[in-house]
Amino acid sequence: MAGAPLAEQPTGLRAWLLSAEPHSRWQARLGRFYLGWRSFTKNPLAVVGLGVVILLILMAIFADVIAPYSPVAGGDLRTQRLLPPSETFWLGTDDQARDIFSRLVHGSRITLFVVVLVALIATPIGLLVGTVSGYLGGWVDTVLMRVTDIFLAFPRLVLALAFVAALGPGIENAIIAIAITSWPPYARIARAETLMIRNSDFIAAVRLQGASTPRIILGHVVPLCVSSLIVRVTLDMAGIILTAAGLGFLGLGAQPPMPEWGAMVATGRNYLIDQWWVAAMPGLAIFVVSLGFNLLGDGLRDVLDPKAAK
Amino acid sequence: MTKPLLDVEDLRVRFHLRTGTVEAVRGVSFQLGRERLGIVGESGSGKSQTGRAILGLTPPPGEVTAKRLAFDGIDLLTASKRTLRHLRGGRISMVMQDPKYSLNPVMTIGEQIIEAYQAHAKAGRNEARDKALAMLEAVKMRDPGRVFSLYPHEVSGGMGQRAMIAMMLVTEPDLLIADEPTSALDVTVSMEVLRILDELVSERGMGLIFISHDLKLVSSFCDRVLVMYAGRVVEELEAKNLREAQHPYTQGLMRCLPTLANDVRPLPTLNRDPSWAL
Amino acid sequence: MIDIQNLSVVYGTGRLRVDAVKNVSFSVAQGAAYGLVGESGSGKSTVLRAICGLAPISGGRVLIDGKEVTTPRSKDFYRTVQMVFQDPYASLHPRHTVDRTLSEPLAIHGEKDAEARILQALKEVGLGSSFRFRYPHQLSGGQRQRIAIARALILRPKVLLLDEPTSALDASVQAEILNLLDDLRRRLGLTYILVSHDLAVVAHLCERLLVMRHGEAIEEMTAEALRSGKASNDYTQSLIQASQGFTRDSHPPAQALAG
Repeated sequence: MAGAPLAEQPTGLRAWLLSAEPHSRWQARLGRFYLGWRSFTKNPLAVVGLGVVILLILMAIFADVIAPYSPVAGGDLRTQRLLPPSETFWLGTDDQARDIFSRLVHGSRITLFVVVLVALIATPIGLLVGTVSGYLGGWVDTVLMRVTDIFLAFPRLVLALAFVAALGPGIENAIIAIAITSWPPYARIARAETLMIRNSDFIAAVRLQGASTPRIILGHVVPLCVSSLIVRVTLDMAGIILTAAGLGFLGLGAQPPMPEWGAMVATGRNYLIDQWWVAAMPGLAIFVVSLGFNLLGDGLRDVLDPKAAK
Repeated sequence: MTKPLLDVEDLRVRFHLRTGTVEAVRGVSFQLGRERLGIVGESGSGKSQTGRAILGLTPPPGEVTAKRLAFDGIDLLTASKRTLRHLRGGRISMVMQDPKYSLNPVMTIGEQIIEAYQAHAKAGRNEARDKALAMLEAVKMRDPGRVFSLYPHEVSGGMGQRAMIAMMLVTEPDLLIADEPTSALDVTVSMEVLRILDELVSERGMGLIFISHDLKLVSSFCDRVLVMYAGRVVEELEAKNLREAQHPYTQGLMRCLPTLANDVRPLPTLNRDPSWAL
Repeated sequence: MIDIQNLSVVYGTGRLRVDAVKNVSFSVAQGAAYGLVGESGSGKSTVLRAICGLAPISGGRVLIDGKEVTTPRSKDFYRTVQMVFQDPYASLHPRHTVDRTLSEPLAIHGEKDAEARILQALKEVGLGSSFRFRYPHQLSGGQRQRIAIARALILRPKVLLLDEPTSALDASVQAEILNLLDDLRRRLGLTYILVSHDLAVVAHLCERLLVMRHGEAIEEMTAEALRSGKASNDYTQSLIQASQGFTRDSHPPAQALAG
């Protein structure tokens, strides 16, 4: 660039991170990470989103410590049913005289479990199908993309319902059902990215070094697709949480007495007018966590995928 | 020279980036009459930003300041948006490097020229059409009627660039800014395009700012050359006196090109003196 | 070293058939540099791509070191022939450090002492070890092209295919890269095939050259003949003319500034 930068030179750790001449692989990587972090923190909403997600993780880890009561065993059914929020029961109690706050805290484990597992199953499938299809082209592409189309044609919740109906209700089956319906969009994204990358000179260069096709796909194509996929998965998390809650609400996901948020809303439905907190509290939790993931995804997009940012 | 067509004094373009402020153009001053002015420099010298700043096309977050930036007596910095819109594309036009990215891919070339014309002149459809065809003929299209109804992807690079020039000149501007108009073209084609540009300039008495990295080309095409380095004009000279260039940067740029006439080995390289950028 | 016999490259079939290269033959001796000159669409780059397997050989033969190349190319082929691309901004993986870029070919071919080889390669192209862990976005165009050359050299090939290696660079950087290529050829005894639209660049680097147009070979000549303007073909003459800069036909020749 022309002209001298007018800003003062950074010092200390920042200088080390921003060094134009890193001395090791680690310094180069950390420097890159730091630059990403800096642009991420420019977006206050993204930081709020990250905060919500971190809070969710902490809550899940320390659920036993945080929750004042047992999430499963209720209190005295005669005196402690459907109590409004108070000092003893912060968010009130439900029809089984269980503390709603404790149930919410423990429910975060289930939510996180669903989110992490779906991400772990769906992302690699989508990534692999997309990159292989895009890189090889020809009939491989045709076959893989038609399979993707078939999966894409199913409405997520309906397929999940059918799946759970066939395998029997339970959180694991719900997760599998959600994962199976959520990978096709990732495959599409990965394929589109791969089509752009495949004809670039740096791929031609590595081919001319004699690299095998798996090596090119895994080592050179995948790293470039991963960032836009991470963004997409994060943005999808809200939908996944909602689907899981929806299945819970219909009684097809987590089974009682598991403190799953969707199932909690379902129980609260019966007391909606008089004891609103029973349904509203878990509903609020679903809302906040979904929003958190969405905000985080938006922030990540600005950092990882500058093309897609507004 | 009478009253200058374009008067630029102390033009500065700053970009406020996250990593600090970068000044791409640092105090450029020149006056332009109805002549061919070349601006030469390497990438990052600020030559393109100078051209864009005149047209008010500096991309955000850029900031343009100048002691004076006047076109035919109109101050471009304080002019209203309406005046600017009227000037831009009307009395001042710009030809960019690659016609592929400057033409609208879903409109025929003829439609685009008509649109450009009607945006600045009150003219009926038929009159605009005649004008567009005449313009395509002026840029030496072999079959103007056919090219008129073609889409940009259906023509070659050279034809696309000529269509672009036709579109930019249909409003009969007083000033044309050409930013690397031939860099994406083959040599023989680019000579044709330059010849057309040259004729149009001398026939219509336009002012032309020709921005390029190619010192040899600019000096053979223009009357006057500004050599830019790191956002500043380091030397201004008559094109025919290029061989007597004083500044070591200009001299270095001249020498480091391999030529057919002399076999110099190794090629002299440019030792950048930090004081040039001061 | 390199023998191209009646090479043809055809893309597509039927109405979409494009004859990118038609019946081109030439040979390059060990340690020589050969230029392919022409405008866009002349097929000059396609010849290079056909040699290294990025374009199909539809007819004719390509012999390296007396042996006909196989499709797909063998690992040995890639140890003998390497390529440098035109645009250094597109030919380096944006998420890989210089270190990763240079160690990749060594890993593919199971070479040992990567550490020393990488430092050696960096030194050969005139860059210090401080560049080793940089990302491409931290490098200038000239530095990137040096890295691309280092990547091509790290397997110790005998032949380097150069596809417009300086046309995306500034004039002063072009001079540095040309000097580097000239120097490397002499020091390492490399054989070059250089593709360029710039006659002066080809004349500077090569001893012999082939002018191409519309996929056909027009004229083969020595750089000496090109310099002294002894081209017999009209098209070659017009290329030479155009490379001298703009001339105003109406002006008297004395006023027009020659090259």
